[in-house]
Amino acid sequence: MAKTEIRIGGLGGQGVILSGIIIGKAAAIYDGKHSTLIQAFGPEARGSACSAQVTVSDAPIGYPYVKNPDILVVMSRDAFVQFAPTLKDNGLLLYEEELVEPSGLPAGVRAYGVPATRFAEELGRRLVLNIVMVGFFAGVTGLLSYSAMEKAVLASVPRGTEDLNLRAFKRGYEHGQALVARA
Amino acid sequence: MEIEGYPKTQTLKDGTRVTIRPLGPRDEVALKEFFLALPEEDRLFLREDVTRPEVVEGFIRSLGDDTVFPLVADHEGRIVGDATLHRTRHGWSTHVGQIRVVVARDFQHRGLGTALARCLVRHAIGIGLDKLVAEVVDNQNAAKRAFEKLGFVKEAVLKGHVRDIHGVKRDLVLLANDCSHIWETMESLVSDFSPTLGG
Repeated sequence: MAKTEIRIGGLGGQGVILSGIIIGKAAAIYDGKHSTLIQAFGPEARGSACSAQVTVSDAPIGYPYVKNPDILVVMSRDAFVQFAPTLKDNGLLLYEEELVEPSGLPAGVRAYGVPATRFAEELGRRLVLNIVMVGFFAGVTGLLSYSAMEKAVLASVPRGTEDLNLRAFKRGYEHGQALVARA
Repeated sequence: MEIEGYPKTQTLKDGTRVTIRPLGPRDEVALKEFFLALPEEDRLFLREDVTRPEVVEGFIRSLGDDTVFPLVADHEGRIVGDATLHRTRHGWSTHVGQIRVVVARDFQHRGLGTALARCLVRHAIGIGLDKLVAEVVDNQNAAKRAFEKLGFVKEAVLKGHVRDIHGVKRDLVLLANDCSHIWETMESLVSDFSPTLGG
């Protein structure tokens, strides 16, 4: 597998960094790959731009910064506006479809949307929208095994919240798989 | 009703195995038998007269209503326990769930009530509730202990609120389990705040 560079962007409080941690953990701990994570915050802790850069590779990673991602995951319009132009040609865009309307994408980009916030609210907690997004990422990309991603979710969320988080993950995963099957 | 994680097998303190599963439309007869077999003393503390067939038929009809999550314990085809989680979708207590558990007399003191309540607590947290309450009569010590094991604490006492089979007025104890702290931990995890970077 070639090196895959991922950027996750959204607003502070959406769980952007935790999403990056889960993907990195799934790769490095449960799928036997290498992974790095760089996190960046806006000037305020909440309600401002926030992003994570995750690299996943079979070989050791020498440079952890992601300038032109293969996969861009966005959970806010601002993150889309800021990062969409950096997406590689033929890259993959995953977006929160009720918050982001993609337009003017680089050539050959495939885009898939998920109503992650609505799914999370239907499941009982808006808080798990990032886990829906992580599941969606797993379902669409197939980059990491389902089992590794599931274990990483379980290992990253507080005790007692596992059931809801797993359901959120599964909801996003199934939605992603269904979209890919239809494409 | 298909719910993830169910049916599940529960081994009781004495080694007996029961199946815990959501109540289904085919359980009407078995549920009527279960409630009819309860001693009057136990039935007295239930909110409805469960010996009336239409009450149980109403339970079955309301399957699928997302304000009630009903579980039963099944032992060799016989219902030996019934547990429900009630919530409201409107008003100021949508974050609160109420747990009710009834166990057949010959299955009491074997850990079944605790097992059923544990399933409901887990489900309640799983659907995002912040607080759970349960009502017990002051002399229902086993039930109180079972709830306390699951994190419930006494929150209020309504003096002389219920009358037992002998006409003696007893206190109703409201037990509560505040599980919001679990979600506070999750909230801090997704806050995207780092004290060392940019915050």
